[in-house]
Amino acid sequence: MLTADFFDGHSTRVRKVALRIDGQTLSVSGENIEFQVPLGEVHVDERLGRAPRRLRFSDGAFCEVGDLDALDALLSSADHRDGWVDRTQRRARPVLVCLAAVVALAFAGYMWALPWAASVAAMKVPEVVGRQLSVATLRALDGPILLPSALPEARQQKLSDDFHNLNLPGSGHPQEVLLFRSSPQLGANAFTLPDGTIIILDELVKVVDDDQQILAAMCHELGHAHGRHGLRLLLQSSVLGTFLALYVGDFSSVLAVAPATLLHAKYSRKLEEQADSYAATVLRFNGMSPVLLAEALKKLAAAHQGKADMGYMSTHPAIDERVRHLYAEGR
Amino acid sequence: MTQELSGGSSSGDSPRFAPAPVTFTGTGTEYFGIWIVNLLLTIVTLGIYASWAKVRRLQYFYRHTEVAGSTFDFHGNPVKIFIGRLIALAMLIAYNVSVRLHSLMTLVVVGAIAIIMPWLLRNSFRFRLYNSSWRGIRFHFRGAVGAAYRVFLLNGFLTMITLYLLAPFMHQRVKAYQHNNSWFGQTQCSFHARVGEFYKIYLLWLVGLLLFGTLVIFGGIGSTFVAISHAKESGAPPPNPMVILKMIGVLYGALILAAVLIGPVFHALITNLIWRNTRIGEHRIECKISPLGLVWIGISNLFLTVITLGLFMPWAMIRLIKFQLNAVTLVPASDMQEFLAAEPDKIGAVGEETATAFDFDISL
Repeated sequence: MLTADFFDGHSTRVRKVALRIDGQTLSVSGENIEFQVPLGEVHVDERLGRAPRRLRFSDGAFCEVGDLDALDALLSSADHRDGWVDRTQRRARPVLVCLAAVVALAFAGYMWALPWAASVAAMKVPEVVGRQLSVATLRALDGPILLPSALPEARQQKLSDDFHNLNLPGSGHPQEVLLFRSSPQLGANAFTLPDGTIIILDELVKVVDDDQQILAAMCHELGHAHGRHGLRLLLQSSVLGTFLALYVGDFSSVLAVAPATLLHAKYSRKLEEQADSYAATVLRFNGMSPVLLAEALKKLAAAHQGKADMGYMSTHPAIDERVRHLYAEGR
Repeated sequence: MTQELSGGSSSGDSPRFAPAPVTFTGTGTEYFGIWIVNLLLTIVTLGIYASWAKVRRLQYFYRHTEVAGSTFDFHGNPVKIFIGRLIALAMLIAYNVSVRLHSLMTLVVVGAIAIIMPWLLRNSFRFRLYNSSWRGIRFHFRGAVGAAYRVFLLNGFLTMITLYLLAPFMHQRVKAYQHNNSWFGQTQCSFHARVGEFYKIYLLWLVGLLLFGTLVIFGGIGSTFVAISHAKESGAPPPNPMVILKMIGVLYGALILAAVLIGPVFHALITNLIWRNTRIGEHRIECKISPLGLVWIGISNLFLTVITLGLFMPWAMIRLIKFQLNAVTLVPASDMQEFLAAEPDKIGAVGEETATAFDFDISL
C-alpha cells in the first residue's frame, strides 16, 4: 500500500489517497474517492531524478507519488518494466560508458568522419555551384585585394604553357584556368578558387624567380584544385561550426568561436599536406624533383618572415615540416 | 470514473497566506546522467533524437521546480517539436541560399520570413504554455494574432529605424503581450511594469558597456602601440599580422568578459523587474536574483566548462537555474487549492493542442 496525492485535473485541490495493486489492477482509495483501473490503462511517468512520479489516468486525473523507491517496489511486483533509456540514465556505469562513447564519437567524427564525408560531398557538388562561388569570390577580390598583373605578356604565356603542358598521372594535361594578378596585401602567394581556377601573384613569381620552382608551386595549387579543397574546407567548417554552436549554444553563443577557429586551422593544415603530396607525385611524373617545391616554399617563407613561426595557430603548417617532407619525397 | 465530489473547500481560511518559496530540487550529478545518455542518442541518430532529448530536459527542469508542495509538469509531444524544428531548418536553408544569390529572391525570402515570424512566435507561446501545468491545471496563452504583429513586426521596425533607442520600449511591450495574455486555468495573469523602468535598466547596462569599452580601447591601443614600436625596430613592414591577430584576440577576450560581467547584471535586474510585476490573478510574485551572485555563477560556470571541454555543462545549467529559482517566491492572496482549470468550451483559439512548436526560446 502506498500513499499518494490525487488531482482530478479540474482544480488544484489535493486529496490524499492510498494505492494498491492486485494482479494487474490499480486501486485508488481516499477521501471521497474509490475506483479501480487496469494497470495497462495507466500511464506511468519515467523516473526522473528525484521528481515525484505521476500515474496518469485517461480522463486527465493523476496520482503523484513522492516515495520513489516504494513505487518501484510496487510496480515491479506487477511486472512493470521501466524504459531502457530511463534505466540507463540512472546507473553510474552505463552513464560512464555513454560518456566514453560520446568522447570517442566526437573524436572520430572530427578526425575521420567529417573530412571523409566532406571529400565525398565536395566531389558531388555540381560544377555550376563551384563556378558561381568562384565568380563571386573573384569579383569581390578584384579591386580591393587583387590588382591586374604587371608581368610581361610573354612571361605570363611561358608560365601558362609550362603549366598546361604538364603530364598528369591519369593521362591528360591540366585543364584548369590560370590567372595572374598582383596583390601588395597578400604578397608572394598563390591560391585556388572553388571551381579550380588558380591565381598566381606577381610577387610570388618575383620571389621564387626560378621557372621550375614556380611550376612546382603551381602543382601544389593543382593539388587543391583536383581535391576540390576549397569546397571541402567550406563544408567541413560549416558543419563543424554548426555542431559547436549546437553543443555550446545552449550555454553561450560567443564561446563557440575559439574552438571553431582552432579546429578549422587543423583541417587547413591537413589539406596543405595533401596538396604537397599531390605536387610531389606530379613533379616526379614529369621528371622533376619534389625538392623544387621545397626550395620555393623556403623562399616564400623567407619573404613572409614573422608569419612563418605562428606554428600551431597558422593555417599554413610550419614550413620547416613541409620542406622536410618534400626533401624526403625527393630521395 | 471518479465519484462525485462532495462540496466544501478545504480548510485554511486565514486572512494571510504564507509566502511559498520556489525551490529547485534537481542536482548536476543526476542531470549529467540524463544529459550524456541523451547526447549519445542524439549523435547516433544524427540529431533526430534531439527533440525527444529536449522534452526530457524540460520535464527534468519542470518536475524539479516546486512551489507550495507541488511541482510543475511539461506535456510537449516530441514529434511536434521535431516537425517544428524541420520547418525552422527549412527557413534557415531558404534564407542562406537566398542570401548567397544576391538577387531579388533574397528580399522575397527575408520578407516572407519577417511576415510569418510574429505568427510563429505567438504559436510557440501557445505551445509552451499549453504544455505546462501545475497540479494538473494547464496554462494557456490567449494573445491575439493581430496584437502579435503590432508587438513584434511594427515595434521591431520602429526599433530598427530609431537605432535601437526604442529597444526598452519594445521589450516592455513584448512582456506585456506575453504576460497579460497568459492564463493559469481560469485565472488570468497581469503585467504591471512600466516602460520607464525598462529604460532605467537599459541605461545602466549601456553605461556599464561604455565604461568597459573605454577600458578595452585603452588596453587595446596600449598593446597595439607596443607591438608597432617592436615591429619598427625589427624592420618588418607594417601591418604585421601578429599585431592584427593580437588585437582580434584582445577583442574576443573582451567580448567574453563583457558577456560574463555585464550580461548577468542586466539579466538579473530585468528578470527581477519582470517577475515582481507579474501577477497570477491576485497572487503576487517576488523575484530577488542577486546581480553580483549571478556574475559569480557565470564566471565560475564559464571557467569550469572551458577546462572540462564542455562536460561541466549539465552542472552549470543546474547551478544557474537553481540560483535563479531560489530567488523567487509566490505570495498567495488566497488558498492555493482554489485554482480551476479552464472550461473546455472556453479554451480560446481553436486547436491549442495542435499548435506546432516552432522552438523559439525567447530568453527573458
